[in-house]
Amino acid sequence: MNSSDWITLLYAAWTTVWVCGISIILGIILGLVVAMLRAAKIPVISQVLAVYVSLIRATPMVTLVLFLFVIAPSMGWEVDARVVAIAAMTINTTAFNAEIWRSALTSFSREQLEAAKAAGMTTGLTLRRIMLPQMLTTSLPGLVNEMSLLVKSSPAIAMIGIVDLTRVTNRIAAVTYDPLPPILAAGLLYLLIIGGLVRFQRIADSRAKRLAM
Amino acid sequence: MNKSAPVVEIRDLHKHFAGVQVLRGINLKVERGQTVSVLGSSGSGKSTMLRCINWLEVPDGGEIYIGGDRMGIKGEQAKAMSNRELAAMRARTAMVFQGFNLWPHLTVLQNVTEAPIHVLGVSRKEANDHAVELLEKVGLSHKHDAYPWSLSGGQRQRVAIARALAMNPEVILFDEPTSALDPELVGEVLAVMRSLAEDGFTMVIVTHEMEFARAVSNEVVFIEKGQIIERAAPEKFFTNSDSERVRQFLGRYRTTTA
Amino acid sequence: MNAIEMLWDNLGVFAEGLQNTLILFCVSSVFAFILACCIAFLLEGQENIPRRLLRAVIDLMRMLPFLIFLYLLYYGLPNLGISLDVWAAGFIALITYHGAYFAEILRAARTSLPAGQAEAAYAHGFINATMYWRILLPQMVMRSGPLFGNQLVCLLKDTAFLSIITLMDLTAAASAVQAKYFVPLPPFILVIALYWSITLIVEALLRRLARRAQKRGLVHE
Repeated sequence: MNSSDWITLLYAAWTTVWVCGISIILGIILGLVVAMLRAAKIPVISQVLAVYVSLIRATPMVTLVLFLFVIAPSMGWEVDARVVAIAAMTINTTAFNAEIWRSALTSFSREQLEAAKAAGMTTGLTLRRIMLPQMLTTSLPGLVNEMSLLVKSSPAIAMIGIVDLTRVTNRIAAVTYDPLPPILAAGLLYLLIIGGLVRFQRIADSRAKRLAM
Repeated sequence: MNKSAPVVEIRDLHKHFAGVQVLRGINLKVERGQTVSVLGSSGSGKSTMLRCINWLEVPDGGEIYIGGDRMGIKGEQAKAMSNRELAAMRARTAMVFQGFNLWPHLTVLQNVTEAPIHVLGVSRKEANDHAVELLEKVGLSHKHDAYPWSLSGGQRQRVAIARALAMNPEVILFDEPTSALDPELVGEVLAVMRSLAEDGFTMVIVTHEMEFARAVSNEVVFIEKGQIIERAAPEKFFTNSDSERVRQFLGRYRTTTA
Repeated sequence: MNAIEMLWDNLGVFAEGLQNTLILFCVSSVFAFILACCIAFLLEGQENIPRRLLRAVIDLMRMLPFLIFLYLLYYGLPNLGISLDVWAAGFIALITYHGAYFAEILRAARTSLPAGQAEAAYAHGFINATMYWRILLPQMVMRSGPLFGNQLVCLLKDTAFLSIITLMDLTAAASAVQAKYFVPLPPFILVIALYWSITLIVEALLRRLARRAQKRGLVHE
């Protein structure tokens, strides 16, 4: 493997990072929205969301990506592979994040909420100033864990033609007829990316522990 | 706010939990500047009564008035207040909890300024200045930037008291404020509460601290099985109560402290 | 041709896909679990170089995507002279990859066991291996119930990656039928429903096991 192969590899790593990155950010926000909607116990919506969460958490990423890719044309949607990839990964990670946020919501200290009520805070104010800052800190380890799970299932997007860090190994091997080096190199880069997330998770963990008092 | 009305008035308060009748018709008036101690054995309903005053528990019957205004219910048709209206009424009271219930992600100073800034709309500067004053009053001037996890129980409760005072409440409700504290730390909290009473704050205190109740209250109320069975000035209550049950209750107390 | 007809006519394809997915899932689950118990046993005892190495390997595998690991086995090994067919690569990948995850779950459970357990066993004259397999391991497993459930679902989902190296699993079946008619919705809905059903069955089975464990006092809620 020569240096131009390395550049191809790094470029593919970048593709993996930014596609996952967008899905991660959207997934965290949407996951919170879903968790709050479910907590609000709105009649039909709660059940629909419960089914969505259960179903998507059981669906392999490969299947979901492929599914969205093949139905896109008949639904009249965008067929750009990158959009489909981000959509599929976002739909997937939102379901997992929704469970993480939901756990933080339902386990939130009732005593603190009473103190806020007694001080005359409205629900909105309590949510904004008291609940969310703490929920973010306590959910962070779980959310970061989900981020690394997302990156580990991201090779599924290679199936629909995106040259991510996994598919690029095929590309390079097709030219050099030597698959082992690019696969090892790709493995190394994945290790760096996910290793970084693991590090982040440990830091988040220690900060979350302090809040538990 | 009606200046001449009692700060807190409770009329015929009823409350039940899962079929158990906890409050069976409580009547109580707390005038401005008074300190009322509420005593009783566990399960007597005293905490429930306190928590009905600021609507943390919703009564099943009876009426509550804060400064002459009806709490929790509004209008001719007696409809339940909205969350916003409840919040506005609650902002006129303050509560100090057994478990302190500080907000762990905020510093001591921020805990005290949070409600004044975001509920009362006070400016940050004003809220900070007031908070500094209050923290000095409770003896924690050196702890402005500390977080609750680094404080002892007694210190946390004093922050909670400062937080309550910051709202300039018409009445401060204390729900067994020292019951969760180690014995050595109880004194510092009672000292603060005593100085508040001397400053003329209106206070309703649910407590087990008999000495304190005797020394600091204007009136002592005894609740048993959901009803007030004795209401008297401290001297009368502790030395010459009319009620057999109260004498029995105090008798137990006297033996344990003799 | 409507959806039901389409699915019915291709029942064979779906049946093959389901069968392969289930074989992969069940066989790999069992062997991954056994492997994890062995790994946990090997890790039991004093800290030394081989154990540290083993732990490093486990941590390493948990930081790699499954597909890369599969690629390594299927495309990379031939370089070194070892040629695996799709099934062999699939089984080895699933068993070792998820074996590492199961081992990590057991390791966490091991540290949460009160020290008295092992001491009591030694005092009663148990030798190392028996004590481990009969006393420590059952408790470690019972304590980790829900975590195993989650990991099993991950294993099931990873079987879908094998469709990329042309093993005819459920996902490949959906893809094949859809390619035949260009009507994607029915085959994929069927396949997703099947994945969901398998997950629900596995979770229900685990709940029943957990209840039996609770009855025998092995788990405290």
